[in-house]
Formats: sequence, structure tokens, C-alpha cells
Amino acid sequence: MSGSALTTVGLGVRYGPTVALDDVSCTVGWGELVGVVGPNGAGKSSLFRAICGLVPHDGTVEVAGAHCHHQRDRASAGFIPQRSDIDPDFPISLAELVMTGRRRFRRSWRRPTEADRTAVAEAIERVGLSGRERSPIGSLSGGQLQRGMLARALAQGADLLLLDEALSGVDAPTTADMFDLFGELTSAGATILVATHDLALARRRFTRCLGINGGLVADGHPADVLDGETLESIFGSRSVGAGR
Amino acid sequence: MIDWLTDPYQSQFMRNAGAVALIVGVLSPTVGVWIVLRRLAYMGDAMSHATLSGVASAYLLGFSITLGALAAGLVMGVAVAVLGAHRRLGQDAIIGIVETGLFALGVIMITRSDNIGIDLGHFLFGQITTVTTSDLAVNGGLALVALVGVFASFDDLRMTTFDPLHAAQVGVRVTGLRFVLLAALSIAIVVCLSTVGILMSIAMLVVPASTARMLTDRVSTMTAASIGFGVTSAVGGLTLSYHLASPPGATIALVAVSICVVVFALTLPKRVRHHATTSAQR
Repeated sequence: MSGSALTTVGLGVRYGPTVALDDVSCTVGWGELVGVVGPNGAGKSSLFRAICGLVPHDGTVEVAGAHCHHQRDRASAGFIPQRSDIDPDFPISLAELVMTGRRRFRRSWRRPTEADRTAVAEAIERVGLSGRERSPIGSLSGGQLQRGMLARALAQGADLLLLDEALSGVDAPTTADMFDLFGELTSAGATILVATHDLALARRRFTRCLGINGGLVADGHPADVLDGETLESIFGSRSVGAGR
Repeated sequence: MIDWLTDPYQSQFMRNAGAVALIVGVLSPTVGVWIVLRRLAYMGDAMSHATLSGVASAYLLGFSITLGALAAGLVMGVAVAVLGAHRRLGQDAIIGIVETGLFALGVIMITRSDNIGIDLGHFLFGQITTVTTSDLAVNGGLALVALVGVFASFDDLRMTTFDPLHAAQVGVRVTGLRFVLLAALSIAIVVCLSTVGILMSIAMLVVPASTARMLTDRVSTMTAASIGFGVTSAVGGLTLSYHLASPPGATIALVAVSICVVVFALTLPKRVRHHATTSAQR
């Protein structure tokens, strides 16, 4: 892997007259596990969606060292949406879900190849869900479904994984399991950004935090970003000390 | 029993009716699977009403009723998409506005014009026994186009229905697929015009697909089962209507709903157990 996993310069997102995110410039290296913290409406989801090219934006984005001129340049970034954005009752099996990650490698009318099926099996094994391939996603627990979404991103060939509030509402043992998995993936060179409200979790589990509130307010070690005046500038005075 | 099934189809007009029922039984449930999964049942119902303006316009301007109905369906799809850009209005409200406008326009055109020798009841409730061989050819051709469009886009339709953001990210043309689906929906409704009619076309779109959804957790199996229920409802309903001397369109719709009720009752205990298990897991 060459260069950095992610570089943004002057990244901004507007929805009509509303500025959701302004002038975000940052670089994230390979193998980093980064927490993206900020209050509701701070622009965390907009940041992830802009990186993946899912919303129009100002500024530039480079994923895996490649300048993203077109949508196809951004498929190396895997977006895992909030749990509330996933319909767990949709009639699709785990293997079918993960196979959708392979769509970037073939035309719509082509059937999946043996290489696609192998990539899907490997991705499912990597997230520890072997044996559940044929299970409908509705039969998976919340944590298993998040692992399935992660497997989809891996099958997609994404080395930059963006998890949007993916751990909200997940119990402590499942969260611990997920971070074990994040550790394995980052050790293998993947870069993971996780948007979260949970400041206690961010302090304990991440090696770097980006504080977002309409823009990039802070960037550094969790002990520095989530403390004192810096935390106040991200969340406002009421949240200082929260989650300790 | 065999005689009971074959007797109705001794005459040419009933064979034509049977053939078009078969077309509806395959096409509408195939499109209906995506209408149900995307929660667009109201859109389907509204589009069926909107086609009346196209039918009336075609009569007045002297071109094909089928083309007129198709055009009205597409106008409806485009109007909903354009008005959908207004963030303060919900999708259902927009559909209601466009549907009402086009349906009202159709009714006024039909009732005010002396040049239209059209029986409104024919399109509202269907007239399957008047289908001619040329109608059959047109409906068969249209159905083939819609079926090829839907089956060729099967994987992408599943992706965009489940997670449109991810689909867009990996290169699927999400907006283009939406128009493919709306075009297929327009065709399915046009084909229904001559069979179950505008008012009951939603039955063939939504009921077999909903029945199949209760039985399976795979879209491919849901589609196959939906077609099975659709063909059974359409051909079974037509046969039953012959023996009972009942209106074919209403009988077909009632057979579809009866199958749905039976499947609902049979799967209820399993669904209750499944709901209890998954609620605990989530």
C-alpha cells in the first residue's frame, strides 16, 4: 500500500443553504484506527458520505493515494451505514449481501465468477461468520449483521473502512468482539474510521480521534481531543466530562 | 375435474382471455415483488388511476390507447420524481397530488367529450373476455420487454432496494434503475387494463408478491412463488368466473386475496415464533 489511506483537502458539504461540513483537511495513514466524534448533526455522516462520493462536496478527496475524480475511484472506501439505515427484514442472505460488494468488479449482466465466490467466502470467514452464509440477515443478531456489513466492504476490496455509528446500541461483549476484529484488520494494514457518540469508548479504544462539529475542530490522541477546552469546543460546555 | 378446468376454454374468446390472464399472472407479480419490497404499493395504485387520462387523451387524439396509458404512467413517474425534489412534501403526498390530477383530468375528458365512445366501466373493472388476438400480441410484446428489463436488472434491483447508497458507491445507476422499474410498472398496469381493470390492477401487483413474502426470505424464491400465485389467481379466477358467471376481474382479485389470507393463517404461528426470537436477538 502506497501513500496515505485517506487525504482530504478543504472538504465541505452543503445541503442547499445549510453548511453541514466546512473545510476539512486531514490525512489518515494505513493501519490507523480512528474515532470520529461529535454531537448529532455535527457532520460525521456527511464526512463519510463525501469521502465515498455519495453527496456532492467541495474540496478534494484521495483514497489509497488516488485522486477521486470519478465514483469508481472511491470504491476502495467501504461505507458501513448506521444500524437504523439497514432493513434487517429485507429478504437477502448473508452471502448475497456480501456478494453485492463484488458488483464493482463486473458488469450488471455478468454472473458472479468463481473468484467472486471465493472472495465472498474469505470475507465471511474473516469476520467470523463462516457457516452462516445462507442465513437470512433477519436471523442475525445486531453484532453479526454489522460483521456482515463489514464483510461486504472487505469483499468490495476496501482497505479504508468507514463505520457510521455502527456500534450504537450494540452490547458491551459484541463491541469488544468488534474491536478485536478491528485490531486484526488494522494489523493487516486496513484503515478504519468509526463515528461514535460514546466518549468513554473513544478514550479507551482509539489511538486517534477527529473532533467534528461543522468542520474539523480537533485531531490528535483521544486524551488530548476528549479533554477540557478541546472537548468543549467539539460538544459545547454541557458535555465536558461526559463518559469518563 | 378436468372438464371443469377445460370447458371454459372451448371458444376462441376464452382462449384469448386465458392467454392474457397468463401474461398478467406472470408480469404483474414479477414487477410487484419490487413494488412490495420498495413499499411502493400506493405508487402502483396511483399509477393505475393516472392511466385513465392517457386512455382518454388517446381516444381524443386518435392514437393507440395502450400508448396513451403507457405515456400517462411515465408522466406520473416523472412528475413524482420532479416534485419529490421539494423536501417539505412527503412522497405519499406527492403521489396523491399527481394521481388525483391525472385521474380527474381523465374523468372530465371522458364525461365532457362527445367524441369518446368509451365505456368507463371497461377500464375501471376490466373486460377480459373482449381481448382480441391483436390485443394479445401487443400485451405479450409489452410484457416481454418489461420482463426482460426486470430480470436483466435483478441483482442491481436487489442492491438498490436494500442499500441504494452502497449500490451507488459501487457503480450501479440507481436513478436509471428507478425509471426501469417505473416503466415496467406502467407496462404491467397497461396490460392489466384489459383484464382486471384499473381499479383492481393493484391486486395483481401487490397481493401475489405479498403472499410470497410471507413464505420466503430470498428474493429469487419470492419472485418464483409470486409468479405461481399470480398465474393461479389469474387463470383460476377466470375459470371460476366462467362457472359462477361472476365478473372476471373481481373474481381474479378475490382468488388472489383468498390465497393470501390462507397463507397468512398457515404461516402465523411460525411468524410469531420468529418475531419472538429475532426481537430478543436485536
